[in-house]
Amino acid sequence: MQRNPIVEMEKATKIYGNHRALNDVSFELLPGEVHCLVGENGAGKSTLIKILSGAISPEAGLIKIDGKRVEGLTPRQSIEMGISTIYQDAELVDSLTVSDNVYLGDELTGRLPFVVDTKRQTDKVNEIIEALKMHLPTNVLVEELSASQKQMLQIVKALYRDAKVLIMDEPTSSLGMDETKALMDIVRNLRDRGIGIVYISHYLEEIFEIGDRVTVLKDGRSMRTFPIENITVEEIIRKMVGRDASLFYRRKKVDIGDVALEVKNISSWGVVDSVTFSVKRGEVFGIGGLVGSGRSELVNILFGADRADEGEILLNGKKLKIKSPHDAVRHGIALITEDRKKLGMLGGRDIVENTALVHSENFKGFLLDRKEEETLTDDIVNKLSVAAQDKSQKIEELSGGNQQKVIIGRWLIDDSDVYIFDEPTKGVDIGAREQIYELIIELAERGKCIIMISSDMPELLSMSDRIGVMRNGRLVDIVQNKDIEEEDMIKRFIGV
Amino acid sequence: MSKDDTNVQKRRILSRKRSSILKSQWFYLLIAEVTIAIITGLVNPRFFTTSNVMNILEQIAVLGIVSSGMTLLIISGEIDISVGANIGLSSVVMAMMIKGGYGYLLAVLVGIALAVLNSLLVGITARAFKAPSFITSLAFISVFQGVALAITKGSFQTIYGQFEFIGTFRLWQIVPLSFLISIAAYIVMHFMLSYTKLGRRTYAVGSNPSAAFLSGISVNKAKLTAFALNGLFIGVASMVLLSRIGAAQPSTGSGTELKAIGAVVIGGTPLAGGKGRIIGTFFGVLLMGIISNSLNMLRVNPYFQTVTFGVLIIASLAVSVLSSYKKKEKIKPQSVREENS
Repeated sequence: MQRNPIVEMEKATKIYGNHRALNDVSFELLPGEVHCLVGENGAGKSTLIKILSGAISPEAGLIKIDGKRVEGLTPRQSIEMGISTIYQDAELVDSLTVSDNVYLGDELTGRLPFVVDTKRQTDKVNEIIEALKMHLPTNVLVEELSASQKQMLQIVKALYRDAKVLIMDEPTSSLGMDETKALMDIVRNLRDRGIGIVYISHYLEEIFEIGDRVTVLKDGRSMRTFPIENITVEEIIRKMVGRDASLFYRRKKVDIGDVALEVKNISSWGVVDSVTFSVKRGEVFGIGGLVGSGRSELVNILFGADRADEGEILLNGKKLKIKSPHDAVRHGIALITEDRKKLGMLGGRDIVENTALVHSENFKGFLLDRKEEETLTDDIVNKLSVAAQDKSQKIEELSGGNQQKVIIGRWLIDDSDVYIFDEPTKGVDIGAREQIYELIIELAERGKCIIMISSDMPELLSMSDRIGVMRNGRLVDIVQNKDIEEEDMIKRFIGV
Repeated sequence: MSKDDTNVQKRRILSRKRSSILKSQWFYLLIAEVTIAIITGLVNPRFFTTSNVMNILEQIAVLGIVSSGMTLLIISGEIDISVGANIGLSSVVMAMMIKGGYGYLLAVLVGIALAVLNSLLVGITARAFKAPSFITSLAFISVFQGVALAITKGSFQTIYGQFEFIGTFRLWQIVPLSFLISIAAYIVMHFMLSYTKLGRRTYAVGSNPSAAFLSGISVNKAKLTAFALNGLFIGVASMVLLSRIGAAQPSTGSGTELKAIGAVVIGGTPLAGGKGRIIGTFFGVLLMGIISNSLNMLRVNPYFQTVTFGVLIIASLAVSVLSSYKKKEKIKPQSVREENS
């Protein structure tokens, strides 16, 4: 049977700054097909679905919906043309009931004008729910629903709007086994009704279970589309990785000393499960894993921002009592956080205050030494070549890379023994990126212990001496970074 | 690339310019104050007499002390709308103790300690129950008023002829002591904000509590300190007020909180916290004093004075929005240059 594609995308390119998030990618979706998208973090999956849902528009390329060419697609048009995107947690109003959410903005009125006909709404929603064989109560508030029920509600909402295309972004990442199975059944049911489904998942087994075709993305490029029966897990993984050597940073070798930091059986119920590892002086210990595997939670515990339920941390053989970040700093542990804006910057304050923050708070008396603060800031600004007009410039006025340099600089004023970098180069341009790498290696040369969390595979592989793999809150593997392949790492992350 | 590198190398020491005077809200306030003063002076020359000027300074003394504390609190990202009730309670306690013959010193100390405790209660409940301090201080308004009514049984506490020194003393027979106390309050607060760790913490927790916490700052400690100091300033203000009036009742000081918050906002400190300077508050308080006095001098219906106060706050918001537009325009070309390099 010849079917015409509902959605076609030809040679789409999306550029952010000087980074091509999507490069010449073509993609098509047939009715009644589950088309999976796979790729690493940052491969361009989200960019692709954002284009289809009208959230962003591509710099180049062509989009056809139902054979008709569309231009300047807006989210509203996209929905009207039958494309519904299901994000993890968006678009639901917690304080309304399930059926009210479905009809939000489009309420059915009864005989009296302005009065919502709740009964009719509930009945119609129940029809859809029954047709899909879902378990979803209609008259409870959304805040009482589980994660999987919220997903289902979004599906109902999409179907009510006559969706012909459903885009599902990591629908199972927060679901348990049974819930995942139920969701799979619903997806199959939808497919049989002729709805086209774009399905994104890190879990490759799911893709083989329900996918018809799979498109592999890597660094913003499409690595072709395959019918699912013509490809194996191994091949998909191979397509996802395998990069040019130019993406890898060539770091200097550093002499590695004795063990300085020992982490023993650290647990925080439900998030981090009995993690043990040690880091030697001069060593870069990388931590990899999928988003949500407990990486950031682990470093929050090491840094005293969260409490561990169990376990101990030793530095230079001495057991540390860390109850707050202040304790951690005093013991010589530094954390460069992942989310600059949320966790790092004092947005409205100037460069001096942002640079001297840690020093003045933790290593000085009651009175500030403003002369010293300025000299120290000059040192940091020079050392890291921060591009700024003057020191009274607010940090929020600097570019991303320069903001990150100031945040890192704040931890270089006083020597720490352990430096934890959580996604050190996220949102940082390539030039500044290399400088940050050099800086990390320089710290290692000075005998510091480095812990580096990264979702960026080339970064993890080119910087780390050893790599710890986190999965579901456990440190499942620690591998020597010697002749290790990207492919092998991904397999460990996913657990195949 | 290499050319750019050398440029960076050359700029070894960045200057730390004082922010341009045109960007400061206090500068606009000063212009407004001078303008109003000149106009009023032309209409009614009595405005510029020493006694009238000193009168203005005396009238804004209490507001100035309270507003200094409020500035710190608002910079830390908190607020206290129970200031008026707190003044009422601590001043009746001071008055009753003086009446009861406990001596001025003890009465004042107890009164100030009570004000500190009251403000701390607002802060502690807010932090402990993760509620906005707006709500907890709203609740404490009734608590403080109720306690004050209960202990006074609603009656007026007069101490005429006693404890008049602070309210009536004039340096060189001219400058009111109460005004000097308020100047001291501004100076102390300015010193704390700009030259102490405590001030730095206050800005940090107000600007980004998570970042402050991860830099080793105890957010609770910093915010509660701000509440305690706010209480201290309220206590001092109650003392000055009691000494000037010579009497206190539970409703003494009511409405001060709104004027103080207004003065702080007019002075360019946003309620969102993390920003602001005491000099802005100083000129904000002064503006309110001058306007109120001018309206009297110009024989404007007193009811309109209240209207003016509201309009003033709105106008100050407009000024701060307009000056931030100007700033954004300035940033743009710079960030473009960075991308090109």
